[in-house]
Amino acid sequence: MSGRGETLLDREFLERLERLTIHWQRSFAGLVGGHNRSRFAGGGQEFLDHRHFHDGDDLRAVNWRAYMRLDKMFLKMFQIEPRVPVRMLLDTSASMAAGTGEKFLFARRLAAALCYVGLVRLDTIQLLPFSATLREGKTLGGGRHRYRVAAEFLEDLKPEGATDFLTIVRQYLNEYPQRGLVIVLSDFLDERTCEPALQYLADYGNELMLIQLWADEDRTPPWSGEVDFVDAESGGRLRIQVDDEARRLYTEGFDAFSAAIKEVALRNDGKYAGIPTSLPLDEAIFGTLVRVRSIA
Amino acid sequence: MEFLNLTFGQFAALFGAVAAFSVALYLLDRTRRKQIVATLRFWVEPGKAAPVTRRSRIQQPLSLLLQLVGMLLLLLAIAEFQFGGRGNARRDHVLVLDNSAWMGAALPTRPNANLMDLARASALGWLRAVPAADRVLLVRANGLATPATAWETDRRVIARAILETTPGATSLNLSQSLEFASQLQHGSGSLPGEIVYAGPGRISTREANNLTLPKIPAFRVLTLDDNIANSGIRSLGARRSATDTGAWDILLRVRNYGTAPRAVTATLNFGNIPQGSRPIELAAGAEQEVSFSVHTRAAGLLEARLYPKDAFGADNYAALELPESRSLRVVVYSDQPEGLKPALASDTRVLPEFRKTAQYVPEPDPNALVILHHFRPETLPRGNVLWIDPPQANSPFQIMARLDHVENLRWVPDHPLTAGLRARDVQLGAASVFVPRPTDIRLAEATDGPVMIASASDNGKSHTVVMGFDPFAGAMRFELTTPLMLANVFRWVAPDVFRDLDVGTQSAGAIAMPYAGKDKDTVQVLTDSGDNLPFNVRDKSVEFFAGESARVRVLAGNSERVYSLTLPEMWDVKWTPPAGVRKGIPAWNDSLRRNLDWWPWLALLGAAVLIAEWIAYGRYSPLKLRVVKRPLERAA
Repeated sequence: MSGRGETLLDREFLERLERLTIHWQRSFAGLVGGHNRSRFAGGGQEFLDHRHFHDGDDLRAVNWRAYMRLDKMFLKMFQIEPRVPVRMLLDTSASMAAGTGEKFLFARRLAAALCYVGLVRLDTIQLLPFSATLREGKTLGGGRHRYRVAAEFLEDLKPEGATDFLTIVRQYLNEYPQRGLVIVLSDFLDERTCEPALQYLADYGNELMLIQLWADEDRTPPWSGEVDFVDAESGGRLRIQVDDEARRLYTEGFDAFSAAIKEVALRNDGKYAGIPTSLPLDEAIFGTLVRVRSIA
Repeated sequence: MEFLNLTFGQFAALFGAVAAFSVALYLLDRTRRKQIVATLRFWVEPGKAAPVTRRSRIQQPLSLLLQLVGMLLLLLAIAEFQFGGRGNARRDHVLVLDNSAWMGAALPTRPNANLMDLARASALGWLRAVPAADRVLLVRANGLATPATAWETDRRVIARAILETTPGATSLNLSQSLEFASQLQHGSGSLPGEIVYAGPGRISTREANNLTLPKIPAFRVLTLDDNIANSGIRSLGARRSATDTGAWDILLRVRNYGTAPRAVTATLNFGNIPQGSRPIELAAGAEQEVSFSVHTRAAGLLEARLYPKDAFGADNYAALELPESRSLRVVVYSDQPEGLKPALASDTRVLPEFRKTAQYVPEPDPNALVILHHFRPETLPRGNVLWIDPPQANSPFQIMARLDHVENLRWVPDHPLTAGLRARDVQLGAASVFVPRPTDIRLAEATDGPVMIASASDNGKSHTVVMGFDPFAGAMRFELTTPLMLANVFRWVAPDVFRDLDVGTQSAGAIAMPYAGKDKDTVQVLTDSGDNLPFNVRDKSVEFFAGESARVRVLAGNSERVYSLTLPEMWDVKWTPPAGVRKGIPAWNDSLRRNLDWWPWLALLGAAVLIAEWIAYGRYSPLKLRVVKRPLERAA
């Protein structure tokens, strides 16, 4: 019987995740920690280079052996290992629960898995649920034993509200000016187009990892005949005659939308992964996400 | 074009209902539905008009058409639709499998096989040639025709019943079996098929004389070659010897069933002790009787055997149980016994003992009969007593008067003691007239009152008969009435001893025992276990049927006959099938020609059409719900 924090992922699956690491390409200034190396020199453990001593430098870093031999003061520089926070934006809008609700569950399970991967590698993970605005998040760090807190936080989330990416991004940049890796888990289905908001986020120096989730009916609607569609977020209605042609046009439109999101990610040296919820979670992680080098 | 299971009207009504239901479901399925979705943005492309909504009730006519066609095909399959006329329709066949006693005869050419095996093989061969849709009913035929299965299309059930058929104990009743099969076929409700008889066609003479076959349109005979040499016992009978006390006359009848003369030896054993043997020369088809005499008063098993053994061993042995010879002890107290001695010596079952009246002692044996001839002892006897003209003085019975000459003597009818007695036969002299008690039975009445009375104890074990006259004196001793009256007294006192006994071994089957009486209530037909067998009294005989070997007792009035039905009922003649009868197993092509079962193919086609419709148009069809991974991953 599974208890609190164990309904999303079981123990065997978590054990399989322990060999993975979240990867990003850019270097961000920050504190020592984590497993992504920084090109910024600092007070780390590993030697990086020498430079001439200047006034005010820490005398403890002077290479006294070189001074004795060359009679010049050189300063040893060490590579710092920054604690770059990995921020995960999780879509909790009503569209994630449309239909059978499997999309929202899948997103939370995927978020839990990425959380665990980061915690195992001593990364700092910041979970930020959002719909129309950013909701209260949870910052986690300090190893795998903190996973339970993350899992319970994810289990308690409820889908509600409409998505407004522009508002969210503005709010995010105000609250979290420090640059870093931003993982967005969402269906990206906004009333307005979401590409400018994502571009805005990238322009501020954040590295984007966009994970688009969709249910099968989101991409290939199975209905036929006369259907009265209701938008899960806005409540808008559309009465339409669905036939093969309409379904084909719908799928083409969806694929074009996915391509646009992917273009935003790749254009800004980020990563994109499109995952249908019918795909098993382990295949999504060890297949799709590994293939796009989001994790390795 | 035929519908075997439904009429056309039923089919049309059923299809109409199913079609209406299907169309209603279709329209319901295609009606406008409310569907909550994640987004509406892809239904309406920017800059383009929304797809035109067409209000049409039938949106996918091909889908509806495919559904209706699928339903139609399935209904046709259920109705067992067939092309052609009724000649191709399903038929009902009756297989009459001979399991008479003769079917147990061993085959000379095949060891460990008998005629039943041959019959089973030919019946199975015919069964394989029957069209698959036809129904078959198996009837086992011997003395009685018994259905072994219901109407079956499952050939395994019929084959199992055929293989479980074993030879019985009676001979074939062919006309009854075929009549029964014909009635079954007429009552089945389907088209009549063949009535098939599988067997050698050996029947009794009685059956051959009364053979009236029903009119059978399609009659097939699967003949068997049963040219088997056999000789056997027809009957074994035993009767008490009329001349020799304590002896039995044994009569053995033997028959040669073969077509060549045979020399056999008949032996007789009683209680495993050889009683004699007789060589018998039997001509072809001849029957011969031999007699033996067995001296015994004890009960025991009498066995007759025939040597050498032949192919049919069941009729080479017969046995019957001889009952114990019982007798009645009669003690006569008389000072003038000469008149009684001839009467008592006439029946070997009576053991008389004559004593003087001075030698009187009370009789300790309650089953014995005490005759007191003009004598009244001091101590009255307790058991069975016959008083003959008791003395007037000190008489145990109240005497009203003493007549010198009796006139108007009348025997009271309807009593065992007066059976066969007629008044005109009697010349009665002096006689006492008794004053009867209310419980006394009046047997002979004079003008002044009864001259002969009787009484029985409450438990029926002791009997008393009082004659007011002496039948062994005067003119009456020459009358037939005297021994008859004495015999009646003996029978009344000890009915078991004087019951006429006749034992015999016969074959099982229908038995008719001669019986002159008409009263059915006095007849009982009992098995060894005491069960009553059903019987009928007709044409001066008691008729009953025993389908298997058994020992049967027939009690009818004063006679008892014991039948040891240990012999199989054998045939007398071979039946020749009439001309025009089909013979042998039908050819394969003959059966295949009529084997046009369309329903499995119609069912498959209907199912295929419905599956195709579901794949092409179903809401949750795999074509529409399949996750196309490659484009997704390419997109990723």
